[in-house]
Amino acid sequence: MLGKNKRSITAFSLGLVLAMAIYLVPGMTSDAIAKEAFAEQVFAEEAFAKEVLAEEAVEGEGEPEVEWGQDVFYKDWEGNPLKGPVSGFPAPELGESDYNNYEFAPSRMLLWVANQQHLYFGSFVLAVPIFCMLIEFIGIRSREDDPVMAAKYDRLAQDLMKVSLTAYSWTAILGGILLFTFITLFPGFFKYMAGIFRPVMHVYALMFLAESGVLYVYYYGWDKMSKDPFLKWIHCSLSVLLNLIGTILMYLANSWATFMQAPGGIDSQGRFLGNIWHVIHSTLWNPVGVHRILGNIVFGGGIVGAYAAYHYLTAKTEEERAHYDWVCYVAMFICIFGLIPLPFAGYWLMKEVYAFRQQMGITLMGGIMAWLFIIQAVMIGLLFFAANSYLHNGMARVKGSHRYMKYCKYMILLLICTFTMWMTPHTIVMTPAELKVMGGAQHPIVGHFGVMSAKNTAVNLMITTTILCFLLYQRANKKITVPWATVGNCWIAAIFVGAALNIIFLGVYGYALPANQRVGLSVPQVTSTLTTLFAGTAINISMFKDSESYGDVQWGSQSKVGTYAIFLLAISFTWLMGLMGYIRSAVRLFWHVTEVVRDNSVDAYTLTIGEAGKMLTFNTLFVWTQFVVVFWVGSLTAKKAAAKAPEGVPVPAQQQQ
Amino acid sequence: MNKGLISFLVFVVGLAVFHNAIFPIFTPSEPGWILNRYVYFLVFVAYLIITNLILRLKPPVAMTALFVWSLGFYFYKSILFPPIPWTLFITYMVMWSIGVFLYVSQDPETFREFRKPIVKTIVGEYKFAQIIVMIAMPILVGFATYNSIYPAYQEPVELRTVHPAPPATTKVHGKTYPLESTDNPFRIDEQDNYKDSFPFLDADKHEYMKYVTEGGTIFFQNCHYCHGDQLNGLGMFSHVFNPTPANFIDPGTIAMLQEAFLFWRVAKGGPGLPNESTPWSSAMPPWEEHLKTEEIWKVILFEYWYTGWHPRTFGTEGAEGE
Repeated sequence: MLGKNKRSITAFSLGLVLAMAIYLVPGMTSDAIAKEAFAEQVFAEEAFAKEVLAEEAVEGEGEPEVEWGQDVFYKDWEGNPLKGPVSGFPAPELGESDYNNYEFAPSRMLLWVANQQHLYFGSFVLAVPIFCMLIEFIGIRSREDDPVMAAKYDRLAQDLMKVSLTAYSWTAILGGILLFTFITLFPGFFKYMAGIFRPVMHVYALMFLAESGVLYVYYYGWDKMSKDPFLKWIHCSLSVLLNLIGTILMYLANSWATFMQAPGGIDSQGRFLGNIWHVIHSTLWNPVGVHRILGNIVFGGGIVGAYAAYHYLTAKTEEERAHYDWVCYVAMFICIFGLIPLPFAGYWLMKEVYAFRQQMGITLMGGIMAWLFIIQAVMIGLLFFAANSYLHNGMARVKGSHRYMKYCKYMILLLICTFTMWMTPHTIVMTPAELKVMGGAQHPIVGHFGVMSAKNTAVNLMITTTILCFLLYQRANKKITVPWATVGNCWIAAIFVGAALNIIFLGVYGYALPANQRVGLSVPQVTSTLTTLFAGTAINISMFKDSESYGDVQWGSQSKVGTYAIFLLAISFTWLMGLMGYIRSAVRLFWHVTEVVRDNSVDAYTLTIGEAGKMLTFNTLFVWTQFVVVFWVGSLTAKKAAAKAPEGVPVPAQQQQ
Repeated sequence: MNKGLISFLVFVVGLAVFHNAIFPIFTPSEPGWILNRYVYFLVFVAYLIITNLILRLKPPVAMTALFVWSLGFYFYKSILFPPIPWTLFITYMVMWSIGVFLYVSQDPETFREFRKPIVKTIVGEYKFAQIIVMIAMPILVGFATYNSIYPAYQEPVELRTVHPAPPATTKVHGKTYPLESTDNPFRIDEQDNYKDSFPFLDADKHEYMKYVTEGGTIFFQNCHYCHGDQLNGLGMFSHVFNPTPANFIDPGTIAMLQEAFLFWRVAKGGPGLPNESTPWSSAMPPWEEHLKTEEIWKVILFEYWYTGWHPRTFGTEGAEGE
């Protein structure tokens, strides 16, 4: 695998790269495609509008039958607001009677908890099928080479699906609770949203039906379909379908949140302008979608990793330890793969937020939400530390890793220095006396780290270091024998050194440029980082051809520190997810729907940082308690017999112990 | 002699000698490229590494970790200048400590070696160390308690938002300006085009420079008392204000903002700030009561011209956002 055989690690990596590319391609190309499609659509709409107006003009007197409104967001090719036929009621002016309250807690908090719990679980059940799809695919691919391993993969995928099945119904229940919370506590607001999103909500419900159907066939048909190779492929294809439906579901639900934050397809009074696609496809829809998919992968990986880590630490037998150590590794592999591109998707989202309303961007990055962003920076740093710590410790148990272990300390130094830069705030909390000693509000040296040029440089270097660490991990037990080994190593070195120099140069150069040009530099910086990821991994894997092994990974010998790092990663990611969700949602301040539906409830205030932190911690603890219950329920079914090799097939040496 | 002890002495004695004898040499009143505190720090680190290598001391992991941690502490406490605020110091030290922990826990072997002296101290194998720790711990706890209870008369720290989100529109002298789409009426060309040559001699730049000069006149009549004659926030009254006046030279102030944002801030002053920016603590007057609209724009033009920054624009090139 993934340590046991060369083909499957290649297949696994390629699978992940492919999966990511599938998700990234729409995001990257959608702008171009959307613009073209949009221009045509706009043209048709305008032509229709002119036709209607001309007809009305011919008819002469009387009020025009169709009232046309101006879109709050969409513009035509001349930059004028797009017009559309008014097809809905104006946004309500919400009053006291539009809100209900319980005595024991503010409605806003109840809604927050309901929403966050549903999102956590939704995220988990969307992520698990992605893993299962990949793991089952690898299992099928490696069936001929290594039947024991293939059976192990298959068992893992099925085990995960079993947990996901319980989590799935749990998610649906939480969704119901969320819906009731909306209807009972925020009826006025929900009525408006339902008025606009009526068809989307019905399609959403129907998609849920489809998702359930496919899920049940996929899970309950597992054993039946695994005997015949053709049926097995059909079964694997079902997982693709399952993911497809899941993604559509998520995108539909995302449209409600993105509409609330950055509405489109309505006029300034909040009246629907007849085009539901405009309402769904508002400006933040795509970045939020991509960001969430990647986030789900990391979150799911973290939970599965934590589950396996718990079992690893409490395992009674060597075999069990080896199995869960391996599961930890698979989960972390997926998790880190999602973690690396995640900040870029975040940047894209922020760019769109700024483009929508500069005000909103400033509130987030420099205004009242800025301190939460500092906390976010710390949490992201923790994630990278945890991932690197796991990789270092994991590398240590691989024979042959002594060749690379000596570089670990330099990578840690680089990580810490870049992280220090990454989290230096622009505005420092200080007493007046300290301010006087410093000679001004900005420190003449570390003050330079407070702006975006430094932050971009730092985060790109952090990611590049993690990628380097991962490449070293991959080759830890391999003695490269290809004739072009030196050339290959030189290329990898050149790519990394070149990328680092480019990132640093662009970061420094950024200080000399005006702000609007400076932000453009983040694109070549990100490209440099992604080049190290893709080109570095590709060269690295190609070099493994005919390589000799120093010995297999000794599964079951992972250190405790490395295992605890997984818990750190899982918990901090859960907290971080809640934090960023809160920031994204709270930036609307006193609006339900930005600049259209005002929040007139008693809860329309922004929480203090401490209060928000308490809520986030509560949500994190609450969801983890539920996860423990769900995993326990999942473990109640009878334990399956350990995967055995079919008779007559030679068993690889490492499995014979 | 025990090599670990020698290594420890190399560190402690070296630090004492370096800090008291060599540090003053590296910190003259006018620091140069070589004679400055950061080069001094590198020299000290180099001394430690080289001495340990030449003497083949190979200090144990726990001691190396202690040295690395102390070097970080020394850097942030004594080398970095001017001294950083306490909150930042703590943050940096937490980072550095995490880094040291990652270093000692990078593999089970190193971690075991790191824990060895700690475990031995706890179980009593290192009797002397145990006694020292047992005596030092209560003293440290007592000292920390004393420190936290002893009343301090310092002003509390404030979480103040320096660049609050501006309102969508602002009304100045009876006219409403939408902040996202308002430009400086006196910016007739990109300022950068004028930067390289001496502007006054060029006829094309005459009109632009006229506005800049007028803006400069207004600045020195009204603003420089606080914002400084070099626009660095160190005007003659600046030291009595908290927060201190904005430093326009800093890349994090006007360089990051739209001109319309400055227009709003200048026109409305401290009282116009939203609550998160503590309007009560800003001394800036609402300049709309003292200056005409065009005078405010001209001052802004001057500030960008003088500092060489370019105002942030959110053009159609789609490169906006951070």
